[in-house]
Amino acid sequence: MIRLRGVQLTLDSLAGPVHILRGIDLDVADGETVAIVGPSGSGKSTMMMVIAGLERPSSGRIEVAGADLGMLDEDGLALFRRDRVGIVFQNFHLVPTMTALENVAIPLEFAGRADAFAAAKKGLEAVGLGHRLDHYPAQLSGGEQQRVALARATATGPRLILADEPTGNLDGDTGAQVMELLFSLREKLGTTLVLITHDRALARRCGRVVRLANGHVVGDERHASPAEAAQ
Amino acid sequence: MRAIALAFTLARRELRGGIKGFRIVLACLALGVAAIAGIGSLSRAIEDGLRRDARKLLGGDLSFNLVHRPAGPAELAWLEKRGDVATVAELRAMAYVQGGAGAPGRDRLLVELKGVDDFYPLYGTIGVDGARPDFKSLTGLLAQHEGHFGALVDPLLLERLGLKSGDRIKIGGLVLAIRGTLDHEPDRATRLFTLGPRVLISSAALRESGLLQPGSLVFYSHRLRLRGGASAAAVMADAKKQFPEAGWRIRGTAEAAPGLDTFLARLTLYLTLVGLTALLVGGLGIASGVKAWLDGRTGTIATLKCLGAPASLIFRVYLIEVLALAAVAILVGLAAGTGLPLLLAGPLETLLPVKLEVSVYPLPLLLAGAFGLLTVLAFSLWALGAAREVPPALLFRNTVAPVEARPRRAYLVATALCAAALAALAVLTAADRWMAGLFVATVVGTFLLFQGGGAAITRTAKFASKRGTRSAVLRFALANLHRPGAPVGRIVLALGLGATVLVTIALLEGNLDRQLREQLPEKAPSFFFIDILPDQVAEFDAAVKSVPGATGLERTPMLRGRIARINAVAVGEAAVAENVRWALDNERGLTFSATPPAGTELAAGKWWPADYRGAPLISFDANLAQGMGLKVGDTLTFNILGREVTATIANLRKIHWRSLGINFTVIFAPGALEGAPHSHIASVHVPAAAETKLFTAVTDKLPNVSAIRVRDALDQAAGVFEQVGFAVRATAMVTLAAGLLVLAGAVAAGHRRRVYDAVVFKVLGATRRRILGAFLIEYGLIGIATAIFAAILGAVLAWAIVTQVMNAPFALLPETAAGTALVAAGIALAFGYFGIWRAMGQKAAPLLRNE
Repeated sequence: MIRLRGVQLTLDSLAGPVHILRGIDLDVADGETVAIVGPSGSGKSTMMMVIAGLERPSSGRIEVAGADLGMLDEDGLALFRRDRVGIVFQNFHLVPTMTALENVAIPLEFAGRADAFAAAKKGLEAVGLGHRLDHYPAQLSGGEQQRVALARATATGPRLILADEPTGNLDGDTGAQVMELLFSLREKLGTTLVLITHDRALARRCGRVVRLANGHVVGDERHASPAEAAQ
Repeated sequence: MRAIALAFTLARRELRGGIKGFRIVLACLALGVAAIAGIGSLSRAIEDGLRRDARKLLGGDLSFNLVHRPAGPAELAWLEKRGDVATVAELRAMAYVQGGAGAPGRDRLLVELKGVDDFYPLYGTIGVDGARPDFKSLTGLLAQHEGHFGALVDPLLLERLGLKSGDRIKIGGLVLAIRGTLDHEPDRATRLFTLGPRVLISSAALRESGLLQPGSLVFYSHRLRLRGGASAAAVMADAKKQFPEAGWRIRGTAEAAPGLDTFLARLTLYLTLVGLTALLVGGLGIASGVKAWLDGRTGTIATLKCLGAPASLIFRVYLIEVLALAAVAILVGLAAGTGLPLLLAGPLETLLPVKLEVSVYPLPLLLAGAFGLLTVLAFSLWALGAAREVPPALLFRNTVAPVEARPRRAYLVATALCAAALAALAVLTAADRWMAGLFVATVVGTFLLFQGGGAAITRTAKFASKRGTRSAVLRFALANLHRPGAPVGRIVLALGLGATVLVTIALLEGNLDRQLREQLPEKAPSFFFIDILPDQVAEFDAAVKSVPGATGLERTPMLRGRIARINAVAVGEAAVAENVRWALDNERGLTFSATPPAGTELAAGKWWPADYRGAPLISFDANLAQGMGLKVGDTLTFNILGREVTATIANLRKIHWRSLGINFTVIFAPGALEGAPHSHIASVHVPAAAETKLFTAVTDKLPNVSAIRVRDALDQAAGVFEQVGFAVRATAMVTLAAGLLVLAGAVAAGHRRRVYDAVVFKVLGATRRRILGAFLIEYGLIGIATAIFAAILGAVLAWAIVTQVMNAPFALLPETAAGTALVAAGIALAFGYFGIWRAMGQKAAPLLRNE
């Protein structure tokens, strides 16, 4: 599903070049659940952005869900995300002027699906928000907003879900409920999941934990075989 | 198609967020569009009013105008065959109170006398107040009754001479009974400038007054009401063919009010350009408003891109939103503009000879809308192009901060094209393209200069910061001026443009005022006397000399004639420069002299010998000669009292009109004109205290001579300028208002940061005074620097207009320039202060919790 080879990312700053990723090699199989852990500034989010095609590496090769990201232009990357990747953010990033239903429908509308709203409604019902369809993000609690974001990330049936600390802005109980939902959705869809987290317990729920430090992969533990984790 | 529909859907959803942050953009746009639409509609309402009343204003379907003499019997017979003819004679004369003594000099007045026949008016009606009911018609009111002809007078005459209806006045040798006051004259001269109140009498009375002497300055017009649907154009052409040497000027309804037409066209152009300046200043508000608004949507844009929206979709969504909101603002502006004629119809009707035709005029509205649309595009495409470059990776950072992206080349090209289209529209739709082109060039130059000025302030602040200062307050103020994203450039540009327009206008007005009120009166003679008949010359000179203090008597013969041919080519076919065309449109004053007038400055050729007696020679205005492509040795043919006289140019003179002395464009050598009926014109200087004495001394002796008090004429001119100045100032205020909106936008955009700064400062123990001090230094520096730029640039522009366009000397008037610019700076300071005051009022705790 994911294949990173020698991925390096260096940004220029006033103080000189900053090396964020220093040659990452990583393979993630179809259906695997991978937790990315590491201290702040270790390059976790950047690696996720690179996988989502949101950031281009300075060097190295990236293949995700069968696409060679280096070969795609801006719009090609947008279509790649639309069709194959769902992203969940720590800050939810719902569009404030759209209702829950519309937020979930956006990727489906982008894909030109005629049943965008019916499918979005189903998605919201699946996350237990069937009664909140016409609410705007500001009228929803944090947990509800993240559930809308989950429904949105899974609406098009992506092959890969990327989640960047999805419980970081939620209290313990709410966070646990959201994670429960994320894992159950993943299981139902058989999707690959890459999850950034500081929460060890959460990391342990994943089949594999990849540890980053200073732009390098410094650890890669498997709790079970990818096939088992997928089940 | 689907992509467009999707863009509309997303735009509609996005707009639910309301227009907060977009209000200033809308206000800027609506204001500019309203100004242009209002000026355009008002101008059309006046034009249409003029067109509707053209026949009344002209007095007929065609008007045949002559000076000194009426049409001859053959000409009149020809006209009468084609329709009804009304003959009107106009001249200036002195009216004297008859019976009962007024204060010295207060018992007589220069009047605009008009003699009309029984057919007058052919179109429209005369409005009369206070007439005795037994006089049924105009003819009756003016007819001889109980031994006196009747007169209808402007109420002003009654007021000035202390008379009432029923009293008598004497004009020339005739005593007239005032039978009422004139409320309304359908063909009231469409001149903004008159030398005295109107007195209307019958042609018969005028003939008996003795004022119609050969050579006296009388303007005749024969108005023709065509019979049986004859074509005015055909009759006009026929008349020219039939009477090629009549020397008359034939006007059709298209030229019913030629002076007013030109004046209106000019004023409309100037006001439209000032309105356009307002729109452009507003454009800066649009640019920064759209950017701030899009900055507020960075998160949404990044999210949409994350979800798979292509960049082109992002651009489309926000372009649709901007255009939809702009359309609302433009409509509001157009509605306000349409209402302007309605609002001003009342006040303007007292100033203009015509009733406004209040209506909705699509063309000016379309033009204003197009200006608005192009302005929006020119000023927002950059920000929209940058918005599509928002990187979606932003969402992985904790705070979604706006990004400073440079749009792709296509958007830069589109922006340039819109700006060029705006300039082209301004030039192509202008009555005077040269002037509009100059305006565009000036605007571009001013934009660049102020942009440079803003950059200079930022750089200076950076430099000063680096040099270091002990004062934390000053350091902070300087840092605010050069920090990344500081709005200095925008504020300097917006406020600077507004202030420059104000300084320019203030200096122009100041200079005109100085000319009219100080310089001219100093140099100008106190009186002009006209219609002095050749046999009255000695008596006139004696009367002037009898008044102690009367000096500088200049007297010269005068008659009127039209230039008929230039080097034997009829003037209609001759190629002449546009700026000298006026000299061919009307009769010119002609004189003759053996010797050059005092102070003559010859540009070419030689003056003729004093005893010259030969073929007609003339001395001609060098300026006009240049415009007509004439040199010494060329010929001009004049139509004088229906006779053609061809004269050779012997020399060219430089004429300084501003001296207000007696000047003629054409001076004949002796021999050609002495035999023609003519009168004399004279100018005399006299101390203010002796003005009345001179006035009465001359008019007592020579009642047919008209005295024009220069001071009165200048006051009237100043009054006209004041009214025009008011219109220009009012429009300029719109520019300043647009500038203030931009400033308010900049202050509002910086508000969050200000609040944050203020809170952090408070936490660190800074007193309010210290914080305020820093902010005041910042805005004070911006304001003062802008004021200096605006004062310099405004002075340069005013200098260029005064010296190059008006050909007048320029005075800098430093107080006016500095005062106006400082007011603008003060406003900047006040706005900044208000913003800071609001920021200071914020409580620290909630903000710190949020952070």
